[in-house]
Amino acid sequence: MERIIVCIKGVPRPGTVKVDPETHTLKRESAELILNPPDRAALEMAMRLRERYGVEVVVMSMGPPNVAPLLKEAFALGADELILLSDRAFAGADTLATSRVLAQAIRGLTPFSLVIMGLKSVDGETAQVPPETAAILNLPSVINVIDISYSNNRFYLTRETNYGEEELEVEPPLIISMNPKLEYFRPPSLKRLLQARDLSFKSMTAQDLNLAEDLLGLKGSPTQVAGVFEKVFSQRGEVWKGEPEELADKLINLLREKGLLQKLALINR
Amino acid sequence: MHNLIIAFGEVYQNKINPASLEILTPLWEISRALQKGLSLLILTDNFSKLDEDIDLKKALCDEILVVENRELAEFKDDLYSKVISSVITHLNPYGVFFPATLQGMALAPRVAGELGVGLCAHVNALELEDDKLIMIRPTYGDNIMAKLFSKSFPIMATLSLGAFSIREKGEKPIIKKFDLPEDFDWSSKIRVKKLKATKKEMNRLSVAKVVVAGGLGLKSRENFQKLFDLAEALGGEVGATRPVCHAGWVEEDRMIGVSGVSVKPKLYLGFGISGAIQHTVGMENSEFIIAINTDEGAPLIKMAHISLIGDAEKILDYLLKRLK
Ligand SMILES: Cc1cc2nc3c(=O)[nH]c(=O)nc-3n(C[C@H](O)[C@H](O)[C@H](O)COP(=O)(O)OP(=O)(O)OC[C@H]3O[C@@H](n4cnc5c(N)ncnc54)[C@H](O)[C@@H]3O)c2cc1C
Repeated sequence: MERIIVCIKGVPRPGTVKVDPETHTLKRESAELILNPPDRAALEMAMRLRERYGVEVVVMSMGPPNVAPLLKEAFALGADELILLSDRAFAGADTLATSRVLAQAIRGLTPFSLVIMGLKSVDGETAQVPPETAAILNLPSVINVIDISYSNNRFYLTRETNYGEEELEVEPPLIISMNPKLEYFRPPSLKRLLQARDLSFKSMTAQDLNLAEDLLGLKGSPTQVAGVFEKVFSQRGEVWKGEPEELADKLINLLREKGLLQKLALINR
Repeated sequence: MHNLIIAFGEVYQNKINPASLEILTPLWEISRALQKGLSLLILTDNFSKLDEDIDLKKALCDEILVVENRELAEFKDDLYSKVISSVITHLNPYGVFFPATLQGMALAPRVAGELGVGLCAHVNALELEDDKLIMIRPTYGDNIMAKLFSKSFPIMATLSLGAFSIREKGEKPIIKKFDLPEDFDWSSKIRVKKLKATKKEMNRLSVAKVVVAGGLGLKSRENFQKLFDLAEALGGEVGATRPVCHAGWVEEDRMIGVSGVSVKPKLYLGFGISGAIQHTVGMENSEFIIAINTDEGAPLIKMAHISLIGDAEKILDYLLKRLK
């Protein structure tokens, strides 16, 4: 097996999210970033494959320089090499413009067998980047994977679909996104955490990646925000206060009046 | 050029997925207003197997566009996206839309990546502004919705599950076979070995008459589980907010909101739910909304018909005691 690449993302720590009041986009540079929770499954799966098949794992992240600590977290879990993809020109990218950067960086790491990402990021919830990156590289993609094994130059994957669990055989190289649920996540190694402190690693810009700026960031994003508006709800309802028991009784009476307890009214009689 | 709108018709066991019929409803309106055709695109190994599907005969579209090939018997991400991209290259549609099912979420970004066009995610509403298609979804900030547009063609988006109701059409849509070029490469890197169909019934959340939903204010998984008793008593379904699903209190397919499903029941009861816009876009069309929250300032209280100010767990316990 050739190397495995994991793409991770920094997302604002819940509660520290700062929104630009003008553009209503996240102020990422100022936010305290944490590892996008679903990416933990991507890292864990990569580390399992690393142990089982003795394969090198490269972890990369596109984002502002403050994602560096997250890459170090990945190192503490066992990553062999780290790459930060950072450039002002990447800012404001939609999923296509993001995928272009990741695709180009991944291409530069050829030969590789597998790219693993999290199913989705919690700040965007689109789930688009893994398949979109795969398509740009003309590679197969499989989303929502729950298990992986490898033999005779084939990956055997199980994915969760809307209809059940599906078993697939896929020819590498390919890109997958991991379902966030795994029964076990390894803790970071203390020794590696210490090593990570003053670890330096590769940082790449648009120029290093040989990417034309008009395909990047906000400018290179075909989807654009035309405007934002606030949904206003007029205070339209009644507010009931009191002891929980009293409130519950009142609610039951209301449901009964509304005919929503019909079935029950019969039973209770 | 650009005189067609395409909706992806997801098929499983020779039946059209209702999520694909849902998205036809807003697309029909848009296509009429812009005087464009609306096609439901179906990829199958044998279209005659879908003959029995009455829902398909009532689909709200001008035509059902069929690509038929034995290689399409199973869903293979790379092949399916190549087929759709090829159809798009030949027909040059104005827009291509997918339901936000797992299949739609696997395919739409591949197609967008292959064609190098924009793709909006989990759109809740479509609007026209000076004949320009605007896609609407929640964004960051309190109660803020974003209007998105795409600079590229075809315009592409995945549309939120349950956000639109299925509408039927009197006459049967025309069925049109679409032949890909002779030299089209039908190969795929993916082989489907087997599908272990879920035994679990799909929940009926999106069509439920009563929805009993819970949020972090319920405090624990155990408390959340009690909602199932209440739902049973009221003949309803249980819904949840995202953090509750992430905490593992309940399966993710019960998530209500932009990233989950939209509901429009006669009665929605929200226990310990703050009412963030990402959640409320998925329940704002409920006929009657009841919120139970300790915080009178919670946004959900603002949109509720009746709000009970108090501890969600205690009120839930009393309700269950009374109903037993
Ligand atoms: C891109 C993106 C997509 C998202 N998609 C979704 C989505 O599809 N669906 C979704 O739900 N969320 C979604 N979210 C998350 C959403 O923004 C909110 O964080 C979430 O809905 C809040 O869930 P909650 O109401 O359970 O928790 P909280 O916001 O923490 O609210 C808990 C509520 O419980 C109340 N409470 C506390 N104690 C008690 C008590 N003892 N009794 C009664 N009430 C109590 C509090 O006053 C508070 O109002 C998304 C977020 C992002 C960024």
